[in-house]
Order: sequence, then structure tokens, then C-alpha cells
Amino acid sequence: MRLRWGYLGFALLVVAVIVAPLVSTNYRTFQLAFVGIYLIALLGLNILTGFTGQISLGHGAFMGIGAYATTILVVDHGWNDLLTLPVAGIVAGLAGLAFGLPATRFAGPYLALATFAIPLSFIGVLKRFPHFTGGTLGKQLPSLHSQFGIDANPSVWIYWVSWIVALAMFLLAYALVRGRFGRALRSVRDSEIAATASGVSTSGIKCAAFGISAFFCGVAGGLFAIAVTYVNPDTFPIDLSILLLVGIVLGGAGSLSGMIFGALFVEFIRITWGPALLDLFSQVHHINTRAPGSSLVVYGVVLLLVLYAAPAGAAGLVRRLVTGRAAVAAWAKQDRTPADEQA
Amino acid sequence: MKRTFLLLSAAALASAAVVVTAGAAPSATPGVTAKTILLEGTFPLSGPASGYAPIPVGMDAYFKYVNAKGGVNGRKITWKYEDDGYNPANTVQLTHKFVEQDHAFALVGGLGTEPQLPVRQYLNDNKVPQLFVSTGATTFDRDWQQYPWTLGWQPDYEAEGAIYGKYVVKNFPTAKLGVLYQNDDYGNDYLRGLNAGLTKAHQTQIVAKAAYDLGTGAPAAQVARLKASGADTFVIFATPTPTIQGYVVATKLGWKPAHVITNSVSATDSFLTLATKSGSDITNGTLSVGYTLDPSNPVYNKQPGMKLYRQIMAKYAPKQNANDGLNLYGVAKAWTTVQALQAAGKNLTRAGLMAAARKMAYTPGKKNANPFLLPGVSIFTRGNFQYPISQVTIIQYQDHVFQPVGSLIAGRGALR
Amino acid sequence: MQQFFQALMTGLADGSIYASLALALVLIYKATEVINFAQGEMAMFTTYIAYALLTHPHFGHTLSFWPAFFVTLVIAFVFGVGLQRVVIKPLEHASVLTVVMATIALLVILNGLAAWIWSPELKFFPSPFPTSTWVVGGVHISKQDTGVFGVTLACVAVLWLFFRFTKLGLAMRAGAVNPVAARLLGVRTSWLLALGWGFAAVLGAVSGMMSAPTNFLSPSMMQAVLIFAFAGAILGGLESPVGAVVGGLGLGVLLSMLGTYVHPVTPELRLPVALLILLVVLLIRPAGIFGRVVVRRV
Repeated sequence: MRLRWGYLGFALLVVAVIVAPLVSTNYRTFQLAFVGIYLIALLGLNILTGFTGQISLGHGAFMGIGAYATTILVVDHGWNDLLTLPVAGIVAGLAGLAFGLPATRFAGPYLALATFAIPLSFIGVLKRFPHFTGGTLGKQLPSLHSQFGIDANPSVWIYWVSWIVALAMFLLAYALVRGRFGRALRSVRDSEIAATASGVSTSGIKCAAFGISAFFCGVAGGLFAIAVTYVNPDTFPIDLSILLLVGIVLGGAGSLSGMIFGALFVEFIRITWGPALLDLFSQVHHINTRAPGSSLVVYGVVLLLVLYAAPAGAAGLVRRLVTGRAAVAAWAKQDRTPADEQA
Repeated sequence: MKRTFLLLSAAALASAAVVVTAGAAPSATPGVTAKTILLEGTFPLSGPASGYAPIPVGMDAYFKYVNAKGGVNGRKITWKYEDDGYNPANTVQLTHKFVEQDHAFALVGGLGTEPQLPVRQYLNDNKVPQLFVSTGATTFDRDWQQYPWTLGWQPDYEAEGAIYGKYVVKNFPTAKLGVLYQNDDYGNDYLRGLNAGLTKAHQTQIVAKAAYDLGTGAPAAQVARLKASGADTFVIFATPTPTIQGYVVATKLGWKPAHVITNSVSATDSFLTLATKSGSDITNGTLSVGYTLDPSNPVYNKQPGMKLYRQIMAKYAPKQNANDGLNLYGVAKAWTTVQALQAAGKNLTRAGLMAAARKMAYTPGKKNANPFLLPGVSIFTRGNFQYPISQVTIIQYQDHVFQPVGSLIAGRGALR
Repeated sequence: MQQFFQALMTGLADGSIYASLALALVLIYKATEVINFAQGEMAMFTTYIAYALLTHPHFGHTLSFWPAFFVTLVIAFVFGVGLQRVVIKPLEHASVLTVVMATIALLVILNGLAAWIWSPELKFFPSPFPTSTWVVGGVHISKQDTGVFGVTLACVAVLWLFFRFTKLGLAMRAGAVNPVAARLLGVRTSWLLALGWGFAAVLGAVSGMMSAPTNFLSPSMMQAVLIFAFAGAILGGLESPVGAVVGGLGLGVLLSMLGTYVHPVTPELRLPVALLILLVVLLIRPAGIFGRVVVRRV
């Protein structure tokens, strides 16, 4: 009985994915394609942050690595763009593993700062090898167009490509976090010492988590490049890594299905909801809705309000609704016992 | 599991909520109704490039002024702009929104080389004008045959760099140049132009070059290296902040170059005053180029264009700092847009607008020049020549004022 | 020689700015295990407040530099306490990740708010120190750099004295080490957190006001500084205030020397090089130079 609810939910999601482009404008469909792309990235980052407990401030860079891999293969070597996606994922995944190997010595904020080095080094590398990467000017991909003889609007085309991949990656993520591997991940998050005592190789797990999360982000990055038709260092700023982390927290760290909310937020907050909220507010009390910085203020305030309303993200909210009591956060504070709570 | 189901269904519903939007039905000519014309553009209103935010505000002020006088051929201009934060991924999405949801008639003034490059193909594929982009990257003017729906506006960086090169060859043929340049297409465009202007014979005048990356603090070590090379001419091709810091560091290190050449974007009184206040003593004598009226220079106060500019700003953008030349840049660009719309006629089509923009002649000779540009500067496009503004004057900074030195220089040859 | 002393002074000046912000980070981290990502923007925002005091007349006249400086420190303290009470406290039972996210939200809000209120264009911030140099044995030593170094270290020293020798300082240290025991002894631990944020904000304001004359006032002026401060704090060990100061100063000097003398290290590589140094140090000493590895209870 329990299993069927999950499958039913997934089926509902598939139905929503099929119906959405039929009832929305091309532009909205284009945006929803990005929701699918961000979903892939968030699923990956969640495996590292939500399930293994390692904060990363650098996963935007793995998206960037995947994006550049796709771009270079398509533009310089004439590959079909869809075929580049697994390669983009693997290249990013290897980079993630390469980072993960030394990084397992670090914990908590030390690791966070170390991950910060990834996007910075990535941008540095992009600029150091302009012949290969196009430098600050980046590279342009061919226009978005449908393939395999299907005649579809480019926005609809990329929507389908992104969501088919996203749904497949969702199932992959689900398979990964079930069973022994998933338990090993969670054991590292909850207590490294206990995990080691139980025979789990914490550094091996952390390393694997880095590699897997980077793989997901790499695939997302490849799709991102295809959709945006352009890559350059400005396209993958630090803001992107932070935005991904925001998506994880708002969706619910440790919950795969929550990531859909995270992805919706990440895509819509800056471009659609923020300006819409400002315009709405302006009806009540006139303000300059295009003042520099105003969009950031709205984004930050909305983020805070959502955090207050749902500190454990959408998943936490749902858990609270279903179980009727305050959620035990997936991320329990390490050194607080019940005795501490009462003191 | 119940939780998963609930979450997924909630997500499905949430998607439904965001998805169902009534998009406006496209009219025969998108963005044009009997009474209105919709123009849109992307600009960095947040993030490190948000210093350019006054540009769309200046444009807005001028469009309001024109609307108050009846508009263009009986239609009022609706001007909307959005923040892309200088991130091309945002620019792409916003541009799709402008074209597919808002059905804008034309995109005007889009700012930034990197943000505007990716949407160039998309806009050309969809036959939407990408007019008067706010960037001096040469490709937007030069590659018009490949991208017939795209046009620049301001003098391009390469031409400006070449002008400096020619000026050096003519006036300081034995000077030793130390070049501080921003390590991106902006700085490299200028550098390429400088090399071209110096010609092979004089390229050896550059004795040192130092690249600088935006966002890495003051360019102290770079300037030190330029000084150590024995250069007597300091050439700065960078955006405002590192330029100012370059001036200050030079003085801190005790470097007193005989000449300083600074690119036009960074050579304004407000920036140079900042440099002087922060301790630099080499700002006076700075050479640069200019093509618009400078509202911070009282020498232009009597120009009819300046008077009009101040009136427009006072009435339609009173909270702006009218002395900031970026507002005037926006006003001058909006003026050009209105002229092109006017020339495209009452029966307004996108193709008609592009045709008008590619055949502009607003020159002092015809007494219809852009009043907001320096006297003598023309806006001219015809046939194979698609560089709307290509004339500049060398200007020299002295005590808060830029004085023109010599006559107008045509960066790309005589206007045919 | 000239180059060496110049690089040294610049390094110490930059380093003291990093050290002040690093100490702020450590103050909050020691008490709450949260890295306050908004520390840099809080510093920037309080510097804008100083700017407003210096340029806009209040009660008829504008303030000169040092009065504005001290008034800003007081305002920063209240600002820090207020932020902790209003923004952070409601999330005290949430996970560390959520609180970190709240500091990120604060970062975004402060950045946008500064641009909205004061506009993003560069502004001039006066320095209390003359821009000239002393010439000692043929070497130019910048008065600005020396001044920055002196003032920042003086503020850090005052804070150290406070923590070491006053009852409140003792209470704060106790509250950080063992909140349960402190509470049993009558210390109001929840207000200690607020005070910690207050002092951190003061340190940030010092960092910002010392940095603004050279880096100019703009909403993004502290972003690079925050990263260097973070790196300095980690280098010294996140739980060690002494480490934060030493780490910040050391990083500043090291980067200045590298940028001047080691030519393959072009200045655009400053930040990646800093992080590389950091990674190397952490590989050898994972808790930083002065840190101690804490073993957690299972």
C-alpha cells in the first residue's frame, strides 16, 4: 500500500508534464523547460547536501563544466547536442570526484569554503585558455531547433527534452537513495563517527556523493547550454550556486520530490514572481518598480518569509501536515540531545 | 510515501498555477496598435554592472517627452525594461518573454556585449529588430549582413582604440606606452584597435601591457609593472572602478607619466574627481574621446541640446542625477529611436523600422543632427556603412572640464 | 627595498581589513556554528550609514569623520543586535542549513537595499588619513596604509580587552563554551547571541569604513573582502579569535608579496591563489593553524 502512493504521485507528475505545454504559451513552456533543468541539478545537489550532509557552494560550476563540455563538442566537433549530455555529465562527474578526493578531509564550513573555490577556479580556467573556451566572450551554440523530423516550436522541443531527461534522472536519484547506498549516505550525514563504527567508509561515500551530484549538475548544464544557446563565464556566476542551495532548502533538504518546488522557485523568483510582486505592491503604494536593487530585495524578503513559514522546506511542511506534529529536520543539530532542548 | 504523493501532486498543481497565463493575442504587426508602440529592452539593474542603470531611465524620460507632444505618427511609445543582471542566461529568457509573451515591436538599447550576443541569432531568426544595442563591441555594427535585424549605435571600441593609436603616432611618436587593459572582450577590443591605429611601424611604442580581471581589487601590481617598464604614457582600457584605482595607485607609487589616455566610458568628471579626491595627481591632462554632450561640463550649458536635456530630466525624471552622462546617453539614444520610427512611417512594420535605421542621415549639414551629441557629430548609415556614430573628438581633462582638442576625428573614415 | 616595504604595508593594511571581518565571522561562528554570510553586506550597509552621516545634514550640520565613525559603530551595534533578534532568532530551532540560508537571504536583501536607497553608482568615501607618504630612508610608506592598520588593530585590541577583562565579556565566552552551564549560573544566554551579533557588526563596520576610501563605496564593495576574510578565518581556525586576526593579516601580507614578486602569479589570480593556499594548509592542518579538532559525541 505504501509503495503505491509514491508511484501514483509520480504518475500525476508525468501527467502534469504532458498537459502543461498544451495549456500554456510558448514562453511559459520555455520557462518550464528550465524548471526541468534546475530539477536535475537540484536532485544531484540534494544527494550531496540533503542526503550526505555536505554543504556545497560550488555546484553551479559543475553545471558550467557540463555546459562547456556540450558546447565544445557541438560547436568545435559537430556532435549532435543530445548525444553530448552523457558526456557532459561524465566530465562534470569526474571533476566532482577529483574535487571530492581531497575534500573529504574537510567538514562543515571548511568544506563550504573549499567548494567555493570550484566556481572561482572554473572561471579562472575559462579565462586562461581562451582558445579552448572562448574566454570571456564565450561560445555561441546553434539556434534551438527540433530534431528527428519532428516539427515543433523550439521552446516546446527543449521542454520535452529537458523533462524526459529530468524524469529519468528523478528515477535514477530515487534508485540511488533507496537501499544500502542511501542508508550509507544518510549515516554520514547524521553521524560520521557512528557511520565509521558501522563499517561505512565515510570518505568513500562523500567522494561518491560529490561525483554523483556533479554528474547530475553536468547533465543539467548541458541542457542549459542547449536552451540558452550561449555559454560564457558570466552565465555561471556564484549566484547560481547559491540559488541552487536556496532551491534545496526551500524544497526540503533530503526530499527528492520536494525538489520540484525548489526548481519552480529557482526559475520563477527572479524573472517572474519578483517583478510581479513589485508591480502588485506598487498598486498599493507607488514605488519605482525598476529601481536598481529592488528585485534583489523582493527575492531576499520572499526567501526569508518562506524560511519562516517552512524552515524544513516544502517537504517539511508536507511532513508536518501529514504527521500532524513539528518536523524533525533532516538536518538535526549534531550536538543537541533532548536534554539540551529542555535546558 | 503518502508524503511523496502529496508533494508531487502539490507540485503538479503549483505548475498548473504558474502555467495558465493569458498571453496577449499577437496582432498583425506585433507590438503596434492604433495608438501605441511597445518597445522593450534588458539592462543590468542589479549586480556589478548596475552602474549603467540610468540609461533606460534617460530613454524613458525622452519617450515621455515625445508622448506628451503627441507621440510618433499618432502613436505613443510604451517603454518597458527588465533587469538581466548582466547574466546572458537571464537575457535569453527575458528576450523570449519580450518576443513571445509581450509581443514587443522592437528591442531597443539592450545593454552589454555578452548579454546581447546570445539573443542576436534568436532575434534575427524571429525577425525582431535588435536596435541600437548599448555596447561598443564592433561585431554588432560590422556583421550586419549576417544579422540584418541587429544594429549598434555608439562608436565601437576598436575604432576608439584606433583613434588613440593614430593620435599617439601623430603627436607623441616617441612615447613609451604602458597599457592597463581589462582582461575581457571590452579591453581586448580597445587593445586591438590601438595596435591597428599605431600600425606595425609604431606598435613597438607599447613597452608594457598588463591585464586586469574585474572584481579582484585595485590593480596595484599591474600599475607597478607598467611603471617599472619605463613607460611615460599610461593607457587605461578598463571600466570605471579599476580605472580610478589605477590613477590612485600610480600616484601612490610615485609614477608621473607625461601622458594619460583613458577610454571614454571611464573618462568622466565624476570618476576623475573621485580619483583626484582619493589622492591621484595625474588626472589633469587626461586624454580621451567624446561624442555626447557632457552634462557635468558647464562649457556645454549654452547648447540647445543641453538645455532641452535638463528640461526633460527635470520634468520626467526629477529624482535622477542629471549630471550623470549616462542619462544623457539614454536620451540621445531615444532621440535616434524616435527618428527611425518617424521615418518608418505611419504604416509601421518591423522591416520598415530596420530599413529606416539602416538609412539614417542626421547630420549638421542637413540641420537635423542629434542635439544631444557634440556639435558636428552625425548619425549616418547607408549601404555597406553601418556604424551609426563613428565620429569623436579628442578631449583633454583640466580642472573638472573636458576641453575638445582639435577637430572631429572620423574613426572609420569619411562618411559616404 | 622600496618595493618590499610598500608591499608589506599594503599587505598589512589589506590584511587588517580582512582580520576585522574574519574576527566578526569567528565571533558568530563560535557561538552558533553558523557562518554569517551576510557579514560583508552588513559591513557595507553600515558604511553607507556612515556615508549618510558624513554627507547629509542631520539637525542642521554634517558630521566630520571621527564623530561619524563612532556614531556608526554604535548604530552598527544596535543594527547587529536587531538583526539577530528579528531575523535569526525565529529560526533558532531550525537546522544549521536553514539558518545559513537566512544569512544568505539577509545578504541579498542588504545588497539590494543599499542599491535601492543610495543607487549603485560609485561614491567617494573620505579617509581620515592623508594620502601622502612618509619617506623613510628613500622608501615611501603610505600614511593611509599605516592608518588603516593602526585603527583596525586598535579596535580589535579593545574588543579583546573587553572579552578578557569585563564581566560581560566573561559571560559571553562562557555562553559560547557551555551554554547549559552558563544558563545554570544565571547568564541570559539568548541575549548573548544578540550581543555577539552586535559586536560582529561593529567589527564589520570598522572593516568597511577602513576599506571604502580605497575601494570606493558601492553595494558590492565588501564581496571580495568577505571571501578573503572567510579564508583568513579558516586559515587561523574558525574557533580561534587569535587565529582569525593572524590568519587575516597573514593572508593579506602573503597575497601582497606574491602579487609583487612572483610574476606567474598575475594579480587576477589573487583569489584562486588564496584559496589554493588555504586548501594546502587545511590538508596539513584540517582545523586551521590555531584550531583544534573537536570530536563530536555520537
